[in-house]
Amino acid sequence: MNQEKNMLAGPKQTLLTGLTAGASREELIWISGYIAALIEGGEKDTAIPEPVVAVPMPQKITLVYGTETGNSKRVATELAAKAKKKQLQVKLASLDQYRLTDLTKEENLFVVISTQGDGEPPVAAQKFYDHIHRNGFRLEKTKYSVLALGDTSYPMFCKTGEDVDAQLEKLGGKRIVPIRKCDVDYEADADTWFEEVIRSLSQTVPAATPSIKVQQVPDIKSNKLIYTGTVLSHINLHDTGSSRETYHIELSAEGVDYLPGDSIAMVPENNADRVEEILSLTGIDRTRTIPFKESTVTVYDLLRKKIGIVFLHERVIKKYAAVVQQEIPEVRMDLFTLLQLYPVKNTEQFEEVLKILPAQSPRIYTIASSPSTHTGEIHLTVEKDVFEINGTQTTGLCSAHLSQVAPGSTIEFFIQRNKRFRLPAPEKDLIMIGPGTGIAAFRSFISERDATGASGKNWLFFGEEDFVTDFLYQTEIQDWHQTGVLSKVSLAFSKSKSTNIMVQHKLLEHGKEIFNWIESGAHLYVCGQKTPMSLEVESALLGIIERFGGYSAKETQAYFDKMKEEGRYSKDVY
Amino acid sequence: MSEKSGIEKIKEASDSLRGTLKESLRDELTGAIREDDQALIKFHGMYQQDDRDKREERAAKKLERLYSFMIRLRLPGGFLKPEQWVAVHEIAGEHSTGVIKITSRQTLQLHGIIKSKIKPTIRSFSKAKLDSIATCGDINRNVLCSSHPKESSIHEEVFSYADKISRLLMPKTKAYYEIWLDEQPLLDKKEEEDPLYQDRYLPRKFKIAIAIPPNNDVDVFANDIGLIAVIENDTLKGFNIAIGGGLSSTHGNTETYPRLATMIGFTDTEEKTLKAIYEIATIQRDYGNRSDRKLARLKYTVDKYGVEWFVKEIEARTGFALQPAREYAFTSRKDFFGWAQNAEGRWYYTAFSENGRIRDDEQTRLKSALLTIAKTGKANFRFTCNQNVIISDVLDADKNSIETILADYGVSKETEASSVIRRNAMACVAFPTCPLALAEAQRYLPSLLEKIELLLQKHALEKEEIIIRMTGCPNGCARSYAAEIGFVGTAYGRYNMQLGGDRIGERLNKIYKENIEEPEILSTLDQLFGTYAVKRNTNETFGDFSLREKWVTI
Repeated sequence: MNQEKNMLAGPKQTLLTGLTAGASREELIWISGYIAALIEGGEKDTAIPEPVVAVPMPQKITLVYGTETGNSKRVATELAAKAKKKQLQVKLASLDQYRLTDLTKEENLFVVISTQGDGEPPVAAQKFYDHIHRNGFRLEKTKYSVLALGDTSYPMFCKTGEDVDAQLEKLGGKRIVPIRKCDVDYEADADTWFEEVIRSLSQTVPAATPSIKVQQVPDIKSNKLIYTGTVLSHINLHDTGSSRETYHIELSAEGVDYLPGDSIAMVPENNADRVEEILSLTGIDRTRTIPFKESTVTVYDLLRKKIGIVFLHERVIKKYAAVVQQEIPEVRMDLFTLLQLYPVKNTEQFEEVLKILPAQSPRIYTIASSPSTHTGEIHLTVEKDVFEINGTQTTGLCSAHLSQVAPGSTIEFFIQRNKRFRLPAPEKDLIMIGPGTGIAAFRSFISERDATGASGKNWLFFGEEDFVTDFLYQTEIQDWHQTGVLSKVSLAFSKSKSTNIMVQHKLLEHGKEIFNWIESGAHLYVCGQKTPMSLEVESALLGIIERFGGYSAKETQAYFDKMKEEGRYSKDVY
Repeated sequence: MSEKSGIEKIKEASDSLRGTLKESLRDELTGAIREDDQALIKFHGMYQQDDRDKREERAAKKLERLYSFMIRLRLPGGFLKPEQWVAVHEIAGEHSTGVIKITSRQTLQLHGIIKSKIKPTIRSFSKAKLDSIATCGDINRNVLCSSHPKESSIHEEVFSYADKISRLLMPKTKAYYEIWLDEQPLLDKKEEEDPLYQDRYLPRKFKIAIAIPPNNDVDVFANDIGLIAVIENDTLKGFNIAIGGGLSSTHGNTETYPRLATMIGFTDTEEKTLKAIYEIATIQRDYGNRSDRKLARLKYTVDKYGVEWFVKEIEARTGFALQPAREYAFTSRKDFFGWAQNAEGRWYYTAFSENGRIRDDEQTRLKSALLTIAKTGKANFRFTCNQNVIISDVLDADKNSIETILADYGVSKETEASSVIRRNAMACVAFPTCPLALAEAQRYLPSLLEKIELLLQKHALEKEEIIIRMTGCPNGCARSYAAEIGFVGTAYGRYNMQLGGDRIGERLNKIYKENIEEPEILSTLDQLFGTYAVKRNTNETFGDFSLREKWVTI
């Protein structure tokens, strides 16, 4: 360290010592990686994000409810809206959607729960109820309080609330406000309880920011920080009966820096069985090393992780034909099919083939979580890509993999910055158009604005096929609407009506109001399918500007171009 | 006076049952309607329900509950023309689960209609001259009438009362037509002023039934008003009137109880009969409990003020005195399966449909059979309070062709092959759609009956027409308190076993064993049947024997 000491002038030296003095080993590794990346000129992709807003982070609380008739939900939703007005950051969740593994991480946990006729918890809260009655974990850092709903005409009045209150204490939780039991007219009691909760929170100091942890050192060559995330949960968001599969995947990603609008990139692995088939078909030695880029890898690793072997481009087919000196039609095919139909002469010729195969390209997925709401996690919304090649149904390599990852397994990824798709200043109004998986970016945006208490209005346009089975993130969108983060939601379900209603039709339906929002400075965002969705949305928007602004076609284009220049129209389409 | 219940406030503030139903229908974010509207939509014949089997799975998928609506038709006396049956069949296929359910109150209901399909459904019904006005809610519900025309040569005359009473007690509001059929709002609200219901409607549901002795198939004493047709020498003399029946109760609430109607007198003209009915409703409107819905049925009003007071109040309001009740006798409470001919020579075929579920399964394609019959236009359809269907008014010349259809689709075979115990049994809907259900009923009773059938065979009792009924909660939709063996759900898989009810519906049962599960149900019945087989007197029913043996005391 002595040599470096001489490099830096006084103040910089103080800063560096200050930075490194109390740092853990992991933090030092991370800092060294960060600096190494800076030297490589990778600033663009590894920069620590600029803070979104310069206000202090609000205190975080988790408000969960267990409801049978909807009363607990109503109370919790109203209380959440009140808390937000008091600048608290609220995570609101129904107990049947609450991830039980999060419980030990909660710092401020407030439970609104009703009791069923014979003293039992609501069905929706049964798992939570059973979980806290199991031993094996402690709630050392959890402050909590319980609001119990019940009906005094039943003998077991508020029994479930009492049980939860007692059990949370047993597990080590600190009760900061005594349990309040409400009868059927619960409104006044609920308000009093919550005022007490807020009063007692304002007397406590927010917990220290957790230390940064990084799973892996930076890959210096590519300037990317490669992270390993563990899958925490994995849910198909469509109900049974839907023809589609869209997965909501939650990854642990402690210390990964990203901003709403960013994506993750991951390099998919080829199917292990298929690689084995190729090895046995060609007879090549799997351990044989061959050069790849600037280093060498084994044939097995090359086939499994480094090069593309499915759905090969016509260009590659042509090169393959040249190597094996056979006539091959120029249509997209898998390597395995090629090897079966147009075999290589020997392993030497196969090595030639390996050289012409394209490097595996990373797949990009827009992040669906917000760093402020989903601290330490990254969420994805991945639709299983099903398409036809030469009449056979095939699934996308990466989305097929992601559709099957089990909780507990790991995924390697890096962050793909998207500086052109950023939340505007907090007071700006937002119009977000994100049908299908396009919702991902806006789940991130809305959660972030919710957590940071941004004052601008938010209007979401979402579309899918069927209201009943395909309404992605329905309950979250409902909660945002109820607590006021989403001022407006417009929905287009193409199968719900006999007519084929899409988001662009919904835009036109609300044309005048959209134009008013644009005129008052709203920022517009489009996320999702490039064709035809984003094109049709754009032409609908142009139509709206032309009609309600009373512009000529040329003036409309100029108006739209100006919006783009001002950064008020952004797209993340694929 | 204690404070009005929440529902009372909703009714009064509802602008004649309109509420915010239009806004609720427009809300794209949810398949549910607003909470206050959930109370109001009942008056329009619908319930909001959700698939309780799917709650957990959908919550994990971040989807709201799978909300849908049940719609119940207004069919006074349970009668449909063939072209109306065809319409119901088609509507059920397009917008609901496809199953057409015959209810225990002689009407039809469809389940699983999602919010955006309600209006198209009601429009289609309207085209077939059908509506669902006032089939649920705190109002006079579907009016029942003994269904089998063979019962009396003047069946038609008695039957017409069902429609007259239904029209007499219809609400005056035009809300139904505005909300569901897009009719123009009234300019002059005076047109819908309602002297009967005012803006309060009744404190609770209100049920009326007409029985034609000797068959009490409508369970006449289970109704708020029960009318018993008094027929002498093939002429209708008038009606005996009974008031204050109702079978619902609440577990753990001793103030609630099932009650059979009390006979209060006789009226001898149509005018007097209708007037008495009308004023019984106005007395209940004015004196019924509006602060506690659990104590709001007419039965509690009658018990609170006394029968004597009630009769005086009727006489004061109608301006005439009730005559003493006339002689009558019930001998049965069941459907007569198979073919029967009425006085005019028309033919009637009563087909068995277990728990009223009209659908096709592998052996019996009842739904297809009824459609085929309806398309011939040669039969009307009547529904019974035991949830069966009568293919009605068939001419002698058409009987063979109808019979062929019934045979081809396996309907006659199913009707003949089902055990008497099964044909007399009844269960309510319960899981997965009924929000009140504590235990299974119509999904469970068929398999329980298989095991009970074996026990009856063991004791050589399989010909005994014992009435077994099951409900998933204590509200009694399938009238389990008026059964010889009643099962009332208390929790999932658990039932109270009730014994001592009589065969004809004039005596309620009592709890024999509480909270028991299937093994105990079966071992208990095995013992009881054993004793009954050995010790019973000639023609002594199981219900009467239960009482004599003091298994329960009434």
